[in-house]
Amino acid sequence: MSTLELLQHTDTVNELLARYGVKFGIYKNNTFKEQLFPFDAIPRIIGHEEFDYLERGLKQRVMALNLFLKDIYSKKQIVKDGVVPEDFIFASSGYMAECEGTMPPKGIYSHISGIDLVKGKDGTWYILEDNLRVPSGASYPMIARELCRRSSPDTFHDHRLEDNRNYAKLLRRTMDYVNPGGHTVILTPGRYNAAYFEHSYLAEKTGAHLANGSELVVEDDKLFYRAMDGKLERVGAVYRRISDEYLDPMNFNPESLIGIPHIYDVFKKGNVALLNAPGNGVADDKGIYYFVPKMIKYYLGEEPILSNAPTYLPFYEEDMSYVLEHFDDLVLKDVAEAGGYGVVFGSSMTTRQKEDFIALLKKEPRRFIAQEVIDFQDLDILEGGEAVPRKADLRAFVLMADEPLVWKSGLTRFSRNPDSFIVNSSQGGGFKDTWVLSQ
Amino acid sequence: MKKLSYDYYMKIGYSIPVENCHFTIKCFPQNTDRQRILSQHIEISAQGYNEGCDGFGNRQIYGTVACAHDVFVFHTTGETECGMREEEEAAVAEKTGMFRYAHGYNTPGSGLRSYFEELVRAQVISDGQDDLQKSIELMHRLYQDFKYEKNQTTMTTTAEQAWQIGAGVCQDYAHILIALCQMAGIPARYVTGMLIGEGASHAWVEVLAGEHWYPLDPTNNCVVTDSHIKIGTGRDAGDCLINRGIMHGGGTQTQEVRVCVTETT
Repeated sequence: MSTLELLQHTDTVNELLARYGVKFGIYKNNTFKEQLFPFDAIPRIIGHEEFDYLERGLKQRVMALNLFLKDIYSKKQIVKDGVVPEDFIFASSGYMAECEGTMPPKGIYSHISGIDLVKGKDGTWYILEDNLRVPSGASYPMIARELCRRSSPDTFHDHRLEDNRNYAKLLRRTMDYVNPGGHTVILTPGRYNAAYFEHSYLAEKTGAHLANGSELVVEDDKLFYRAMDGKLERVGAVYRRISDEYLDPMNFNPESLIGIPHIYDVFKKGNVALLNAPGNGVADDKGIYYFVPKMIKYYLGEEPILSNAPTYLPFYEEDMSYVLEHFDDLVLKDVAEAGGYGVVFGSSMTTRQKEDFIALLKKEPRRFIAQEVIDFQDLDILEGGEAVPRKADLRAFVLMADEPLVWKSGLTRFSRNPDSFIVNSSQGGGFKDTWVLSQ
Repeated sequence: MKKLSYDYYMKIGYSIPVENCHFTIKCFPQNTDRQRILSQHIEISAQGYNEGCDGFGNRQIYGTVACAHDVFVFHTTGETECGMREEEEAAVAEKTGMFRYAHGYNTPGSGLRSYFEELVRAQVISDGQDDLQKSIELMHRLYQDFKYEKNQTTMTTTAEQAWQIGAGVCQDYAHILIALCQMAGIPARYVTGMLIGEGASHAWVEVLAGEHWYPLDPTNNCVVTDSHIKIGTGRDAGDCLINRGIMHGGGTQTQEVRVCVTETT
């Protein structure tokens, strides 16, 4: 009955979230709008054994992805061995030639990985997407749990579930592991960023400095934080919430005003850790996704524990003919797009649209992947006091410290529109807490 | 083979003093199969600098001039031996892949694509030729079809834009030739350097044929022999800018570059 009590507190929790500024900012038609990220109090519950299985699969996947990144920015053995075609590296917008030959501290590229999964109606979990650049979202279930515990303490007394408030500790351990000496900083582009709430919340919880680019300065191949009194204090690890291209105007986009000139040079010298390392985009676009199960076999010599959604690459002739034959059953995704954009369902196109799309597909086969439409398991959400089923996914967080660490929780996002499969918060979705049972 | 001594002088003047200027300079010829550095000297109007190497193997120095200043001077001199060989060993395969794909300034648009198709139809390149021959033929045609003219293009003009204009300088010739070679399936890269004589810095192209990089100078329609000192390489000009800097502040900026390369005995 204590779960019911929690549900009765939905409005209270949402009000508290609003008061704490748990918002999600988006740019739409060039104007910045902050919207609340609606919280639904019915948790997603994952059993102990089931999560154990996910945990093993996630660790394996993130280890392979890290080895892949290390290989790509050095010897490229996986390309030489013909496992991944050269096209999917060099023609990928996420590949950064500037990063060639740079070895991040301890050889780790993706310290914080957000892996998106869905559960099919048959109970099978599928990986939908890897996010190895700046994945956001961990703070939402963290604070929701905190507020739920406050408004409905009995609920957490009666259920044996993993406490997810340890995320900060895991993150701190991850940052400390690669820190060659100095303070730890969370670098934010500022309060107009979509995830600003998260930046400040994680800084508070991990005890890191929250800084913007103008507070950090490079001197003599080292990075410093400029304290209030003007004194410079050495910084050893930067959990940067700024994308690669804006990170350093001297090495990447020269127009960037939010970056730190020469920070990448300091990183190259091994004097600062950047979490995550620049260049990770080459490992998480929708094209390279197809190859992740092959990477697992190639680097680890293991069978993948978690499966991808069945995916076809029109780049291969065989897959192209499959895609053309089964067009209406598939979902097509533009590899360069993210956030739920560039996704179209074959069945929803008019004849004319279909013809145009197929012409484009034939012209630029590398640009698209096609996937079987997975019949995801719906999760109930409360709407007007009633439980209604909605599509939902799970973003699991995998941290890479001295060993891979899987956070025993995750961000469950759902679509508020009953007909939509797209759960992205940038498209108006909501979120749930994710409970992992401890026994 | 020639013994060449070089002198590269750059002076940036600001009409209003500026602070916190960041610089990265890639202006250091290195030993290759084709050239040997006998001596090198650097002078810079900064308190100090750090040294490193970029993702393309170019040597660089970088730093920040924190205090207010209205002039920034960089001067380097050295002696080299050039043209020991025609080509340069393409050391490792993993370093050549990126040059097979269009990037940045050399990404072709519809104009360059149709120009390339026209050259294919005219059998300027054909199956019987090896990649070096094809590249040379493309260079000859480009030399005929594009005009050398200053002030038509800028530092940030793309190959496609330059082609539409129909005229440009060495940077534009190099970007267009890279685009043409890549469309023909030949990896090609951008080279910055200095040419015997007096003037500014120069740019040309290296194409990968078999296991070797061959330098071609499309502005002068020739295969590079022993009159060019190579400084840096990249996918396009942006990767190997000789001087990259940012400063905050008003006023206007003037840049003066003097390059002099002479043969010594």
